Amino acid sequence: MSENPRVVDRQLVHRCLSGDSLAERALYDAHVERVYRLMHRMAGDADLAADFTQETFIRAFERLEQFRGDASLATWLHTIAVSIALNGLRKVQRIRGRTDSIDDSPGLSVPPAGFTADLKARLHSAVDALSEKLRPVFLMHDVEGYTHDEIAGTLGIPVGTSKARLFDARAKLRLALAAFAGDPIA
Amino acid sequence: MNDDRMDELLADGTRDYNEPGAVPREEIWARVQAARASAPRTPIVAAEKHRPAWIWASAAVAAGIILYAGIAIGRRLEQPTAAQHLAKNPATTRRDSSNSSAPSRDTLGAKSPSLVPPTAVAAGAKTTPDDEIVRKLREQTRSTGQRAKELATATVAGRDAQSNNLAYRFVMLQHLAGSEAMITAFRSSARRGEVDREIAAWSRELLSTTRMLESSAASQDPTMRRLLEDLDLVIAQITQYVTRGTNSPDDLDLIDQSISKRSVIAKLHGINPGRNLPAGT
Repeated sequence: MSENPRVVDRQLVHRCLSGDSLAERALYDAHVERVYRLMHRMAGDADLAADFTQETFIRAFERLEQFRGDASLATWLHTIAVSIALNGLRKVQRIRGRTDSIDDSPGLSVPPAGFTADLKARLHSAVDALSEKLRPVFLMHDVEGYTHDEIAGTLGIPVGTSKARLFDARAKLRLALAAFAGDPIA
Repeated sequence: MNDDRMDELLADGTRDYNEPGAVPREEIWARVQAARASAPRTPIVAAEKHRPAWIWASAAVAAGIILYAGIAIGRRLEQPTAAQHLAKNPATTRRDSSNSSAPSRDTLGAKSPSLVPPTAVAAGAKTTPDDEIVRKLREQTRSTGQRAKELATATVAGRDAQSNNLAYRFVMLQHLAGSEAMITAFRSSARRGEVDREIAAWSRELLSTTRMLESSAASQDPTMRRLLEDLDLVIAQITQYVTRGTNSPDDLDLIDQSISKRSVIAKLHGINPGRNLPAGT
């Protein structure tokens, strides 16, 4: 008989709260891969991804008593992780903003330059330039394969909003791609 | 270029966007452990030798509630056993029952050593007024938690399921009474900035048991489930408050608001049958 994942989560949390170090490690092992991957997709830097992942688990262990089991443990951890990543990236952008010129910053207004090998680089720049609301949804769904339910739970938004944001993100990327390819898609 | 072609390009083009390499699993774990080890532990206010008597009076009342609830349910559990005993040893049992219309308290005590009469607690409180009471309450909490764990791991079926449900109900009532006692003691002492280690540990034990019960058959009843969820929130807030040890009035207000908004104490009063039992039962 397969166990209810929520019950398994609660039992694991209960063991962690009782000071069971093996349970803490089990919790970490069960989730670190997915958290790190998402952090890396969002940060684009291995050091930042490691920092965000580390901070996620430190904060999670600190606040484990607050885990109520309304959502899955994975969703709860991802909520912490995305919050840490967004805050961390804002700080990084502030620091970079002081040193980079505006011309160097990526944006959607990439001039069409023909369908060349750097299409991917341009597309990545367009993903970089997505807003803070659209980018996590796009990365989670289209790049990392999260479901809309998982995204909605993580970001604290309705499923419909998650779908709408994904639609908007894809539309913006299509627009950037079309502009790059010189195709007049509206 | 049509949308499908665009989507293909998007998928191909973003597949390796910020692609992560191997997860530095051990490195991150080591950093997490190091950070947690070096994190400043907020001190919990040390237990004072002398606390105001009224705090412990309220705790003693709560202890009484636990014991009354235990005795009430214990008697219900005892009834079939007494009937079996009557069938086996009619003479002995008649002699026992001639002294009392209820099942013998000695028999009850022998089967359930923790269910001592409340007067014994009161007598104990006279000699060791505060620590002794909290110690007893925490022992009760621990045994309730242990019993909940045993029930959670036990496999029951058919006829056993009925007695299992009754056992769960017994554990639930003990747990609710223990939770009320802790919340009462916490509110009293926190207002004076005197939350001690005993209450901190007590709240952690209760939180564990609450969560265990939430995942158990005990929460099949919607009323009980809601009450357990409310208790979970309140006890988690208390646990966090005493663990941080900051004694922040704002945090205390939040806890009070949670208790009031969810009518936690009123619900506990409504469910706990011990409150309706006359003294000596």
